[in-house]
Amino acid sequence: MTNIVRRIASRGVPLAIAAWLIAGCLFPVGGQTSSKERIKAFAKLPDWTGIWELDAFVGQADGQQFSAEGQRRLKEYAAALRPSFSSEYQAKYDEIRKKIEAAIAADPDHPPVTHDPLCAPPPFPATSTPGMYQWQVTPEEATFISTVGAVRHIYTDGRSHPPKDELWPTLMGDSIGHWEGDTLVVDTISTRKRLYMGELSGFFMPMSDQLHFTERVRMVNHDQMQIDYTVEDPVALAKPIHATIVHVRVTDFSRMVEETDCEQNERDPVVEGRFKTIVK
Amino acid sequence: MGTSALAHHSRSMFDQTKQTTLVGSVKEFQWTNPHCWIQVLVPDPSNPGAEPVEWGVEMGAPVELMRKGWKPGSLNPGDKVTIVINPLRDGQHGGLVLSVTGPEGKIIGRPAETAK
Repeated sequence: MTNIVRRIASRGVPLAIAAWLIAGCLFPVGGQTSSKERIKAFAKLPDWTGIWELDAFVGQADGQQFSAEGQRRLKEYAAALRPSFSSEYQAKYDEIRKKIEAAIAADPDHPPVTHDPLCAPPPFPATSTPGMYQWQVTPEEATFISTVGAVRHIYTDGRSHPPKDELWPTLMGDSIGHWEGDTLVVDTISTRKRLYMGELSGFFMPMSDQLHFTERVRMVNHDQMQIDYTVEDPVALAKPIHATIVHVRVTDFSRMVEETDCEQNERDPVVEGRFKTIVK
Repeated sequence: MGTSALAHHSRSMFDQTKQTTLVGSVKEFQWTNPHCWIQVLVPDPSNPGAEPVEWGVEMGAPVELMRKGWKPGSLNPGDKVTIVINPLRDGQHGGLVLSVTGPEGKIIGRPAETAK
């Protein structure tokens, strides 16, 4: 490159301007590091390429029945995720549960909807839903993508959460992260005021606007990733929830195919709050 | 805290204490989201002259089925099949697939561990 700069400079273009022009062509995006620096930054990141799924889903049958091992894992997860609510939120939770139980008892043939919306992307943390997951890891951001429509942006460029007056509850909240060796530490606030871990938690658990998640994500070995959760909410929870979720490498499929198209052939529609299956 | 919720709906509309075996021919194989379905025509062996009864049986999503060995063309209209299901509680002719045995007597995909 030095020769190019000299050649341009020899034609009467000041050296500084020539260097600036060339740098501008090579690194066109303002404020980014040079490609050499970025390659070095990439080299420090762990290799999380591949496709992953929750361990409990391994061995699922055609009708989505869990394997015996999968059921055992789900029970373990449910026990680990069982919250110790504050008395105020225990009362809220009991009320929700009673309503659901009463609705089931009133018409056991047609189960009530216990979580919503049914075909929207799953809410944060979206790491225990059916389907497959993928991580895209760059120096600036780690992105978690799932085939059932979750996209989580975890900013690792050193930024803080936005100021309070620029935050509002969203499906995925606001996530920032940093690396401790090969472990991605994720801090998430501003999710909706409820906890839903898909298959693991049954239905939405009421939480307050103080809900705060910390996740420690790491690859345990070539075929296994582990996410350690700490769920804190000083208003809704008497003590934090600690749980560990295991993702395993998918070896029987090699592409992500989205599965969110519920409109295509919805034969378990919700009628007056209950599932009514259409058989033909 | 339930642990049996499906991706997009509960499976409690199916009676998991009962298994029904359907022997018939495929009317249609729907390779669709959010679930794949088989429409199967089931004759009544005790009444050969009667119209066969159409059943609709539900499976997982296409990608998940492909991972278990299914393909969009695994079943075609007219194929003879034997399907074990958990029937719907409400008495309609529908259910959740536990196992599918195809035209050559071979199991297709991955049957449930509980399938009889």
